[in-house]
Formats: sequence, C-alpha cells, structure tokens
Amino acid sequence: MLHDEQKMETFSYDDAIVRKFVLATMVWAGVAFLVGLIAALQLADWRFNFNLPWLTFGRLRPLHTNAAIFAFGGNAIFAGMYYSTQRLLKTRMASDAMSRFHFWGWQAIIVSAALTLPFGITIGKEYAELEWPIALAINIVWVVFGVNFFKTIAQRRERHLYVAIWFYIATIITVALLHVVNTIQIPVSLWKSYPIYAGVQDALVQWWYGHNAVAFFLTTPFLGLMYYFLPKAADKPVYSYRLSIIHFWALVFIYIWAGPHHLLYTALPEWAQTLGMIFSIMLWAPSWGGMVNGLLTLRGAWHRVGKEPVLKFFVAGLTFYGMATLEGPLLAIKSVSSLAHYTDWIIAHVHGGTLGWNGFITFGMIYWLVPRLWKTKLYSESLANVHFWTGFTGIIIYMISMWSAGITQGLMWRAVDSTGRLMYPDFIETVLRIAPLYWVRAAGGALYLVSFLIMAYNITKTIASAPKNVKADVFQAPRLAPSSNQNLGDKPHRILEGLPIVFTVLTLLAVAVGTVIEFVPTLWATDYVNTGSSIKPYTGLQLHGRDLYVREGCYLCHSQMIRPILSETLRYGDYSRAEESMYDRPFQWGSKRTGPDLARVGGKYPDLWHFRHMMNPRDVVNGSLMPSYPWIFRDKIDFAVIPKKIAVMKFLGTPYNEQELALAEATARAEAQAVAASLSAQGATGKLEDKEIVALIAYLQRLGQDYKKGGVK
Amino acid sequence: MTDTDKKIEGHAYDGIEELDNGLPSWWINGFYLTILFAGLYFGYYMLGSGPALVDEYNTSRETHEQAIATKKSARPVASEEQLAASLKDPGKVKLGASVYASKCIACHGDRGQGGIGPNLTDEYWIHGGNLTQIMKTVSEGVLDKGMPPWGAVLTADELPAVVAFVNSLIGTKPTAAKAPQGVRAKE
Ligand code: HEC
Ligand code: HEC
Repeated sequence: MLHDEQKMETFSYDDAIVRKFVLATMVWAGVAFLVGLIAALQLADWRFNFNLPWLTFGRLRPLHTNAAIFAFGGNAIFAGMYYSTQRLLKTRMASDAMSRFHFWGWQAIIVSAALTLPFGITIGKEYAELEWPIALAINIVWVVFGVNFFKTIAQRRERHLYVAIWFYIATIITVALLHVVNTIQIPVSLWKSYPIYAGVQDALVQWWYGHNAVAFFLTTPFLGLMYYFLPKAADKPVYSYRLSIIHFWALVFIYIWAGPHHLLYTALPEWAQTLGMIFSIMLWAPSWGGMVNGLLTLRGAWHRVGKEPVLKFFVAGLTFYGMATLEGPLLAIKSVSSLAHYTDWIIAHVHGGTLGWNGFITFGMIYWLVPRLWKTKLYSESLANVHFWTGFTGIIIYMISMWSAGITQGLMWRAVDSTGRLMYPDFIETVLRIAPLYWVRAAGGALYLVSFLIMAYNITKTIASAPKNVKADVFQAPRLAPSSNQNLGDKPHRILEGLPIVFTVLTLLAVAVGTVIEFVPTLWATDYVNTGSSIKPYTGLQLHGRDLYVREGCYLCHSQMIRPILSETLRYGDYSRAEESMYDRPFQWGSKRTGPDLARVGGKYPDLWHFRHMMNPRDVVNGSLMPSYPWIFRDKIDFAVIPKKIAVMKFLGTPYNEQELALAEATARAEAQAVAASLSAQGATGKLEDKEIVALIAYLQRLGQDYKKGGVK
Repeated sequence: MTDTDKKIEGHAYDGIEELDNGLPSWWINGFYLTILFAGLYFGYYMLGSGPALVDEYNTSRETHEQAIATKKSARPVASEEQLAASLKDPGKVKLGASVYASKCIACHGDRGQGGIGPNLTDEYWIHGGNLTQIMKTVSEGVLDKGMPPWGAVLTADELPAVVAFVNSLIGTKPTAAKAPQGVRAKE
C-alpha cells in the first residue's frame, strides 16, 4: 500500500480550454461595453434609439446586462476557474469533452441571447430575461460544468481544498439553485412563457435571484480568482488563513438573505424587508474580509504595485470591491433607500462593482495569464499601464456623474414646499436637470471602452508573437491515499477541507437557511392573493398589451410600485398594495425610474394622449427622452395567441372562467374595436383596431383602475 | 492582534502558502457591531414597539393634510370679481401664458385650438365658462375624461394666472380649431 501511495503519476493540464475562455472573455467584453455605451447615449439623446425596434433602449439594456454579467463575467470566471482548479487540485479536468461542451454550450447561449433579446423575446425579469428554451439550456450547461468540476475534485492529488475552491463550490451550487428556482415557467409558445410566481411572490423570488446573482456570480467566483491569482502574481503567502475561513462562511450564509433590500418600501411584507436590510448591514464585514485579506497579502510587495500592471489592476479592483460593499449596506438602510432607490445612484453603485471590481480583476488576471498560456511575453507593459489609467479615469467619471444624477433627482422628487406642494411636480423637469450628466456618463463609459480596446490590441499583439505549437507542460505528483481522519488534520475546519462532499453539503445548508426562512411564509401565504377583492384579472387585450410592455422593456424605465412616502403619493396617488399585482406574471414593480411610476396611470390621460405619446413622446412632453415606438402603430395584434395566454394564466390560477377562455379571441377583437373607436372619436386617424398600439393603450388605461374603484379589501 | 506572519505547515497549493495571522481586531469588532445593530433593529421594529413604514407614512400624511386644511381656510376661494380683476393685470396674463405653454399645450394646442382636449377659444364649454367655473375645472380636473387636476401642481399665483390666460383666448379664432363641445355660454 505504502509503496503504491508514493507512486508518481504523470499528467498535464488542459490549458487549451483556458485559452478558449480567455479569448471569449475578450470578445464579449467588447460587445458588452459597446452595447452599454449605446444605451448610455440613448439616455443622453433619444435619437440614438434610431426608431428601430431592435435597437431601442428597452431591448438593448437586457442585452447589455446579460453580455456584461454572463458573457464577459461568465467567460472570465470560467477561464480563471479552469486554470486554477486544475493546479490547486493537481489534476487535469475530469473530462475534456465536458469542458468543451461547457465552453461551446455557453457561447451558444450567449449567441442565442443576442439573437432573441433585440427582438423583444424576454421573460421580463432582470438578469433572467432569456426565454424558457434558453433558460433550460443554461441549466443543462451549468450542470455539466458542475459535474465536471466535482469529478475533478474527486480525482485530485491534493488532499485539502484551498480557499479558492471553497468559493468555486459555493458558486456552482448556489447559481444552479438560484437559476432553476427563478426560471420555473409555463410556456405559451416556443418564445413566450409566464412564471409560476405572481406579484409579491415573483418579486421576492426575482430579487432573491437578482441579488444573489451579484453575490454568487460576480462576487464569490471573483473572490476565488483573487485568492489564486493575487498571491501568485505577488508571490506572497495569503495574509490570514483564519480570516479566509471566517469571511467565507459568513459571506455565504449572510448574502442569501439580503435580496429584499431591493424591495424596501414596496408591498413586500415588512418583516422580509427588515431581514433584507439587517442582513445587508451584517454583510459589510464579511465582504471586507476578502478585500483585507487580499490587500494585506501584498505587504512587502507594495513597491511593485506601481510598476506591475497586474498588481495595479488587482489593488484597484479590490478597492472598488471594498467601496461597493460599503456602499451596498448603506443603500440597504431603509431611509437611504427611500432616497436612492429608482435613481441613478444605484447605477453608479453597480458600475463601481462591475467595471471596477469584476472588470479590473479580470483584466489583471488576463495580463497575468496570457503570457503563461501562450508561452510568450506581454507585448507592452506600458500600454497595459495606459489601459489602467484610462479605464480608471473612465470609472471615476462614470461614478461621479451617476452619483450626482441620482442624488439630485432623488432630492427633486421628494422636495415639497411649505404649502405642501411638490416643488417639481412635472417629472420631466427632474429629467432635464440631470440630462447633461447622462452625457458625462457616456463619456466615462466611452473612456472605459477605449481603454479596453488598448488592451485588446496589446493582447492580440502578444498572442501573435507567441511560438506556434506550444507543448503542454508535464507534471508529476503522487496519487492520494484514501483519506482517514488522521491524515486530514487535527483542526475541525482542516478536516472539513479534506471532505469535499461534506463541505459542499454544508455550503448548500448555509444558503438554504435564509432562502427557506424568507420564502416559506411568503410563498405559502394567501394574503397576497385575495380573489374576493376588487382587483380583477386583465382582459385578453390588456393581457396582450401587458406582454407588449414587457417585450419593449418599458419596465426598465418605469416602476409600477408607489411607495408609502408622502412625496410619492402626492405625485402618483395612493401607495401600491400587494394585492394589486396578484395577477402580474411577471411582476412589473421595476427597479429604475428613468420615467415616472405608472402604477396608477390608468385614466390619467385620454387615449389620444397615449396614442400621440407613444408615436413620439416629444409631441406631448417637451424634452422627453423616452423612445418613440412607431412600429407598435404598424404591427398587428396576434389575436390567435390570446386564448393560449388566457389558458396558461388560468392553469396558473388566475380566475378566468370557461366562457372567458372559449370567447377569448372574439372578446379581445371587440375590445380592440372599442378602443379604436374611442381613439377615432378623439381625432386619431387610420385603421387601428388590429394594431398593437390599441392593446398597449388598453393595458395602460387599466393600471390602477381597480384599486381606485374599490380599494383592496 | 499582532501579526506573527508564521507560515502554516502543510498549507501550500500550487506554491501558494498561508500565514497563521489572526483576524484584524477592527474588522472582527466591526462585524460584531453590525450584528448587534441588526439584533437591536429587528427587536425594536419587528418585536417591539417600533412603527411600521406604513404607520410612519400615515402620520406624515395626516400632518400634511392638516397643514393644507389650515392653509385653505386662511385663503378663501377667489370670487368671480377677484378673478376678473386679474384679467386686467398684464403681468398675470403673461405668467398664465408661460404656465399654459409648459403644462397645457400638449392637450389644448399652442393657441388653445384644442387637440387631445377641447378647444378653449370658442364660446362653448363642457364645464361652464364663468371664471370660477374654469378655475374649478383647472384646479380639480375632470379625472375620468383625462383633464388632469392642477390644484396641487400649480402655485397659488399660477392658478388664477392661467385661468386669466385661458379667458384671454376666447374669441381668438385660431386656424384648425377643434369643433365646439358643450353648451354655449350666456352673454
Ligand atoms: C428610456 C426610458 C424609457 C422607456 C424605455 C420608456 N419610457 Fe415611458 N417615459 C420615460 C420618461 C423619461 C417619461 C417622462 C416624460 C414623458 O412623459 O414622456 C415617460 C413617460 C411615460 C408615460 C407618461 C406617464 C405620466 O404619468 O405622465 C407613459 C404612459 C409611458 N412613459 C409609457 C411607456 C411605455 C408603455 C413604454 C414601453 C413601450 C415606455 N414608457 C418606455 C422614459 C421611458
Ligand atoms: C392630458 C391632457 C390635458 C392637459 C395636459 C390639460 N388638459 Fe384641460 N382638458 C383636457 C380634457 C380631455 C378636457 C375635457 C374634459 C371633459 O371632456 O370633460 C379638458 C378640459 C379643460 C377645460 C374645460 C373645457 C370645457 O369645455 O369646459 C379647461 C378650462 C381646461 N381643460 C384647461 C386646462 C389648462 C389651463 C391646462 C394646463 C394647466 C390643461 N387644461 C391641461 C385635457 C388636458
């Protein structure tokens, strides 16, 4: 036995897959940043929407966020994970075929996102927009990735798992859980589905997902990368093993609870909001644990930071991480949220995290990896420094402009004079005040894009100079003997590090606690689904109009959630109640008010006003930056699909009766006739009764009406 | 905690070693502090007597309504004569014109000729053409017909001013005017 244990095995690492992921990261980064810049320009000047459906802001923004998070961020973490996992476990990936399946599957998902989102094919839940066939494909690819990863752990030649691997484990299992639970939906057709959750419940599940996508897609894997690449690049030991342990478990346990901080002052039950707030505050130290451990690891190497671009990117990235994770808990305080929520302050916050933390860690990692993967030298260190400083300036400009925009607009929304009158009753006034800052932001974003192009040039040149046909290095290590408590160690956590299955189960438990405690009371409660109240289901035409609202991404600029705050009810009407959205699949509470809240817009304006406004908002509101929607006036309503939609909604529990279902199409046509007739009577021209605009107006005019008529109980 | 900077034996992963340092004390104390805060906050607002968000809102709403009510009784509704007086004040009419340009044009047209809303230049009125009646329509709106209420939006100066301006439009006979609606005002 003993002899066997010592026997050396020879192996090599699969670096081909890492090279693939690195190149994919570079390609998608360019796409994500470019689309972001276009979206920024669209807010500075509506003409950048070009009046084209597939370029309009509401469809482009999901493309930008998906490309940035899942295409750029995703490929970056996979590159780093495949590189470091093999080395930290002293083994090749369990299956090259699975690795390749993961790579090509992921790229295919990204391409299908790029081919569907611009056409308005979307579920309408932020960061989970991809329709059900793609969502399903994500689940499959992720599971293959996970199986490959855990099989690799099983055949490792290193007894204990290093902290980076802990973070990877947390990432893989939690992302799977989040994505599967959030995208349970019933298809209406190949490219349209409705989530099984509605209203409050959908909101809770969505932001549990949304917030933890940030946590387990943009934080834990990047911390894992940091724990590998930073000590490697600095050639220094990790500052504190104990800190790694404490902040890892605290982070994983606490993060999952914090989702409801996206829903403060909404119709979500207040106990859940409070949990979201206090857990966010407790998240500050565990987050900073990672930053502190990283920065203190650099003790004795600080003199090199000025010279070496890799370290510079890591230091700045960690600092941005520290800023974002201090700002996050601050924003999660209810009173701060009441000012900041729905404004550009949140946009500043997320870009500090993504451009600063995710971007810079990735860039640092790539500058370190590429020369090693291609066995050559970086083409130009000084260009990398130029990249750093231009990118850094871009981020600072971006954040300062959006902080000012957010705080200015938030203060204007709430300003009430001594007579109890809103000081800026016209929403557009508050938009025009910050519009110049949208140009400044676009300039910051452009700078970041330019800095990236410098990197792309540098990396291309580096790879071009690489020798052809590099041979993989060969390594030797003894295979592991079967584990026993003795050879695992004497401290409990050390033993745990040698027991991957137990470790994984404990991690799963850590994320399950918060999930269960927040979900169970909310998902099982019937308070939010009072079918006896005055809130009635949408008619077929309104439902169809609602889907157009989702298709055009109106929810990315408009909220439908009036908070119980005086300045808000003065502006929009009584605050929103949970029951009002009980038939909303998906919920439309929104997260950003580039335009005003629409929860009670029904009846506020005549049909003709909406008609003109949708054709060109500037015809009725001077200086509006909302896009024009001319195609909605050309495209025809697909009446035939309405019965199918009603059927799925009925299946999900919306109380439509058999007759409503049977007559759905005819009823919808009659409704459309009525709206068209009212429009014509007010002076609109053209054959309108089969055009989408009629359905959209029917939906907008319904908003808030039931509540105004009858309250909720 | 002073750093010992001792390397932990057996901890080496692809050349990465780990030190035996403890937790920075400011860090761990900060962590405890946030936990303490969280506990107290939860205790006060969820288990104790802390007000719910909606309670806080209701209080602020009541204060607001009382303030408005006292303001209202202090400022009696303008009479027909008082409003008529402001018609002669060119400053008022000018202020009214600028309010009209920013808030009313979208629906009533740049010259009052009508569009989404009715023509304001003819002698026909849906809700009455007396100054007090116009004042009431403008101030309270016609909610189910899409005429917004402006009472809470315009200032105490702007409201009579825009009424004066609307009155000045009567009889201007703009081109492309919308057909009259409502009943003819008595001379
Ligand atoms: C780029 C952000 C943006 C998008 C996308 C957007 N809007 Fe708007 N919307 C605005 C802004 C800004 C305003 C305020 C100025 C105005 O009334 O045009 C507004 C105003 C409105 C109003 C008037 C609300 C009120 O109370 O005065 C309605 C209704 C509306 N939008 C509907 C929509 C619909 C429907 C869509 C999707 C088809 C949509 N918006 C998409 C920005 C946007
Ligand atoms: C959103 C569109 C809209 C805006 C903006 C608007 N109105 Fe109106 N207004 C209407 C509609 C629609 C009616 C007709 C109501 C009815 O049919 O009962 C109307 C009616 C009126 C009337 C009564 C006309 C009558 O025949 O009795 C007056 C006076 C009036 N508006 C003044 C104003 C003034 C002053 C402003 C700006 C401060 C304004 N409106 C802004 C839509 C609007």
